[in-house]
Amino acid sequence: MSSSRTETLVEVTMPQMGVSVAEGMIVAWRKHPGDWVEADETVCDISTDKIDTEIPSPASGRLVEILVQENETVTVGTLLATIDTGAQPGQAHAVESNGHAAAPEPQPEPNGSPDRSHVISPVVRRIAGEHGVDLSQVKGTGIGGRIRKKDVLAFIEAGPAQERPLHTESPYRPEPAPAPAQAQEESTGSERRMPLTPMRRQIAEHMLRSKRTAAHVTTFAEVDMSRVVARRAELKERFAARGVPLTYLAFVARATVAALQDQPVLNASIDGDDLVYHGDVNLGIAVALEDGLIVPVIPRAQHLSLEGIAAAIGDVSTRARSKQLVAEDVQGGTFTITNPGQFGTTLATPIINQPQVAILDLEAVVKRAVVVDGPEGDSIAIRPMVNVCLSFDHRALDGAEAARFLGAVKARLEQWADDA
Amino acid sequence: MSTRELRGAAETAPRMRSENLDRRDRANLLRYMMLMRASEERALTLYRQGKVPGSFYDGRGQEAISVGSSFVLGPRDRMCILHRDLGAHFVRGVTPERYLANFMGRAGGVTRGREGNMHFGDWRLGCIGMVSMLPDMAAVATGLALTFKMRREPRVAMTYFGEGSTANGQWHEAMNFAGIHRLPVVFMLENNKFAYSTPNELEFAVDPVERAAGYGFPGVSVDGNDVEAVFEAARVAVDRARAGDGPTLIECHTMRMHGHGAHDDMSYVPKELFEEWEQRDPIASYTAQLIADHGFTEAEIDELRESVKSEVDEGARLALAQPMPEPGEAVEGVYADEWQPLGDGNAPWSRWRDTAPVNGKGRVS
Amino acid sequence: MSEMTYLEAISDGLREEMRRDDSVFCLGEDIGVFGGAFKVTAGFHEEFGAERVLDMPLAENIIIGAAVGAAVEGMRPVCEMQFADFIACGFDQLVNVAAKLHYRQGVAVPMVVRLPTGGGFSGGPFHSQNPEAWFLQAPGLKVVAPATAEDAKGLLVSAIRDPNPVMFLEHKHLYRRIRGDVPEGEHTVPIGEARVVRAGGELSVFAYGSTVAMAQQAAEELDEDIEVVDLRTLCPLDRDTILASARKTGKVLIAHEATRSCGVGAEVAALIGEEAFEDLDAPVRRLTAPDVPIPFSPPLEQHVLPGLDDMKEAARELLAY
Repeated sequence: MSSSRTETLVEVTMPQMGVSVAEGMIVAWRKHPGDWVEADETVCDISTDKIDTEIPSPASGRLVEILVQENETVTVGTLLATIDTGAQPGQAHAVESNGHAAAPEPQPEPNGSPDRSHVISPVVRRIAGEHGVDLSQVKGTGIGGRIRKKDVLAFIEAGPAQERPLHTESPYRPEPAPAPAQAQEESTGSERRMPLTPMRRQIAEHMLRSKRTAAHVTTFAEVDMSRVVARRAELKERFAARGVPLTYLAFVARATVAALQDQPVLNASIDGDDLVYHGDVNLGIAVALEDGLIVPVIPRAQHLSLEGIAAAIGDVSTRARSKQLVAEDVQGGTFTITNPGQFGTTLATPIINQPQVAILDLEAVVKRAVVVDGPEGDSIAIRPMVNVCLSFDHRALDGAEAARFLGAVKARLEQWADDA
Repeated sequence: MSTRELRGAAETAPRMRSENLDRRDRANLLRYMMLMRASEERALTLYRQGKVPGSFYDGRGQEAISVGSSFVLGPRDRMCILHRDLGAHFVRGVTPERYLANFMGRAGGVTRGREGNMHFGDWRLGCIGMVSMLPDMAAVATGLALTFKMRREPRVAMTYFGEGSTANGQWHEAMNFAGIHRLPVVFMLENNKFAYSTPNELEFAVDPVERAAGYGFPGVSVDGNDVEAVFEAARVAVDRARAGDGPTLIECHTMRMHGHGAHDDMSYVPKELFEEWEQRDPIASYTAQLIADHGFTEAEIDELRESVKSEVDEGARLALAQPMPEPGEAVEGVYADEWQPLGDGNAPWSRWRDTAPVNGKGRVS
Repeated sequence: MSEMTYLEAISDGLREEMRRDDSVFCLGEDIGVFGGAFKVTAGFHEEFGAERVLDMPLAENIIIGAAVGAAVEGMRPVCEMQFADFIACGFDQLVNVAAKLHYRQGVAVPMVVRLPTGGGFSGGPFHSQNPEAWFLQAPGLKVVAPATAEDAKGLLVSAIRDPNPVMFLEHKHLYRRIRGDVPEGEHTVPIGEARVVRAGGELSVFAYGSTVAMAQQAAEELDEDIEVVDLRTLCPLDRDTILASARKTGKVLIAHEATRSCGVGAEVAALIGEEAFEDLDAPVRRLTAPDVPIPFSPPLEQHVLPGLDDMKEAARELLAY
């Protein structure tokens, strides 16, 4: 490299995707050493705790070298690659140049007219730039050997130089190593070994940490959902006309948020020796994905009506499944609701989403025969029943508080009133 | 009437008394002259207060000419009005507000800021505004008259020019063309003694009124400070034209009492000339005439004066409140999207007043 | 369709309009009884009468000025300058009254001024000029210059119907030398639209009036991939067509008989430089008369007016550039 080129090198570094993110992993390189990169063009895909995303190039130029390989995890700020902004599109790569750094000498025309092979007209410059053409390779048929528009167009159409390569000019380009995830399927028949995905590893780490941090207790309540079922039937069409899907989860979320406002200790966090009461209820909704789970947050849910919460749940679920969440979407939650009951299970002991102090699990709604109070005394009725399971952190609150909360949620659901 | 008779009528009567004006007409004649005087005084004040960009022109002392002549016209007649003829604009229906706003370059001025001072004409009142080159509008007036003739319509075009512009080749072209085709056009020539600083004797060898005969139509001389004399001369000329008898040149003798523009101190004018013409101020002398000969009272005159004053005050107030035009408008309106007919002007003379308009058009009686 | 000369097409368009609309009338010198110096109005006096084919005095200012007054009142005057050169004698009425009336007063002036332009017949300095550049400096005027018989009729009719003053440049050289099929009856060509006469990819030649046929002939004889565009309207220019052609070929030659400096060629060249710089493969060139009055004696005149050989040479140079 000549010394002038080092002054034009631009660095590509691991970005900080969210305040608490400390590291990231290279998932795939989209550009390789020697490639021309335009500013804002994607250089590589990365994965972090919070989100998977792409790194756009900070400048236009030629990618010189890659310093971090795929599947390597590095801390934020680590140098990943360098780009030479002093290069020109169409110029020879260092690898191709055979060491000839200087431009070709102007050849005087045999008939004595001055050499104009270096005169580049505006349209020739533009077309060459658009197609990455190295003009020193183009033969000019204009006066004095000037490169005319038709010359550069013909060059592009004909494709790369037709000349035979020299011994040292190889068409080889280095390729990235194959991704480990697609690797060895040893066909033993009995055992298969697959490396954990980044998301799996993140979930694993989080769950262990939560178990080690909080004093987990789970309490349960059976809830008669008849009023909710009826109300849902009344409202479903109307909401759907407005593009809002209305699920039982939405009713439970609304009842939970209302109950949290009466008992703010469940909407808090332990920070060292302090209990931090959060002003807003930022409600996390666990969404199952193909390869794991993610918990997008509905901010300031205390301001939302039933319809508002239903719309928000629909929105974050859709975006989570189509991988359209951004970093902010998964930050700042104060309480989490999870709803595995859609699969038919009836009881669970969920793990708290740190740094929250509680998590509510909604199980399956199942028709049961239950004893109900009537004007003529007890009788058996068939009611849609569901178990709501609250895991709480005994460091922050006691059983009675938790029970009272869960009871309040149950009462709100059983005596459903829209504005409750 | 022959030229001789016309000239005789103008010159022998020391103070013309028209048989064709009623009391209300007379009050109107005085009022319009007062309105012109008061408006121009107000405009000059605004100019000195720095509210008027560019140059300032007025027709002080010449009020009788524009008022007396325009008063004759019917609604469908057309005018090309010049810079000393504000009275004609008022007779046709322009308000003091729009006149003042035009001087101040405001959005509600007659030309919306496109043109300054007296370079305006409200097409909706059948007036075409002047250009600076004189007497270009004389040619345009012959074009209007040509159209009336081609269409066989009993309509007349009236235009004004000063005695200086009779030196210009275009004056000859317009007069000549009008004479060849006996066009229904009335040429009002305001001889106010000076073309800027150039006196008559350096402007022509022969009085322009004499030259009319050379174009084949009558030239008439009147006292330009006698509004009824101007009225009568114009009336005869307009009736002639309407009857198909061709053009007339009416030379109105007057004196320009202010400079060519406010920037001109008229130091080239002998003081005696000013004093002589002060005595012949058209408004003062007509006021005296109305009181002496037509039974007007001082109270009536005062009332007229007061109403003019409040009209001008109100106009000034409104004009000063108008915004300037939007700068971006400067590049609009170079081309027309369509042609529209000119509108008709007001016609306050009793002859028009008493004929019921039919579809907005006055009847010629 | 009917085959007629350029001159016959002008007469035809004028006659059709005068029959259709009795507010259309003509003013000019010797146009009535004599039928016009070039016989454009031959027979009009008999058909339409002396009032509508008005023989004017030798006074261009009153021809233009009276037309302004008539147009303002709703007539559609078509003035004829006996030679385009004499517009100078009516210039005051044209640029100070006609051109500015709408902008200043909101009054439309629907009039046409027909101007026989151009040299090549030993007319000398006062009968050979192409004064269009003067009009481009007077905002408010439109300027058209047909090159074919069909366009001569179509543009004249459009000019008469336009509510603005339109300068109609009829090149004297084309009067009897250009023939073509002209639609009978009502036929208009829109003002403000150029026409690609011959499509090509290597070089654009922009021409109008007398240089259009010359450009076509040069392209054919050189047998090259040359695009010829007839500008047709000089004000307002058809920027879109001009720029599209310039961007396509990257090489531009503008050809007009009018003198060089500040002409239509200069305006088009500046436009292309401003808007299509990155598409240029060669400098924009102009083929024009030099900045001299047009002389009388044939070898002098021929030297000065751009000819077919000059056109071919200029095209060859640009193609090779």
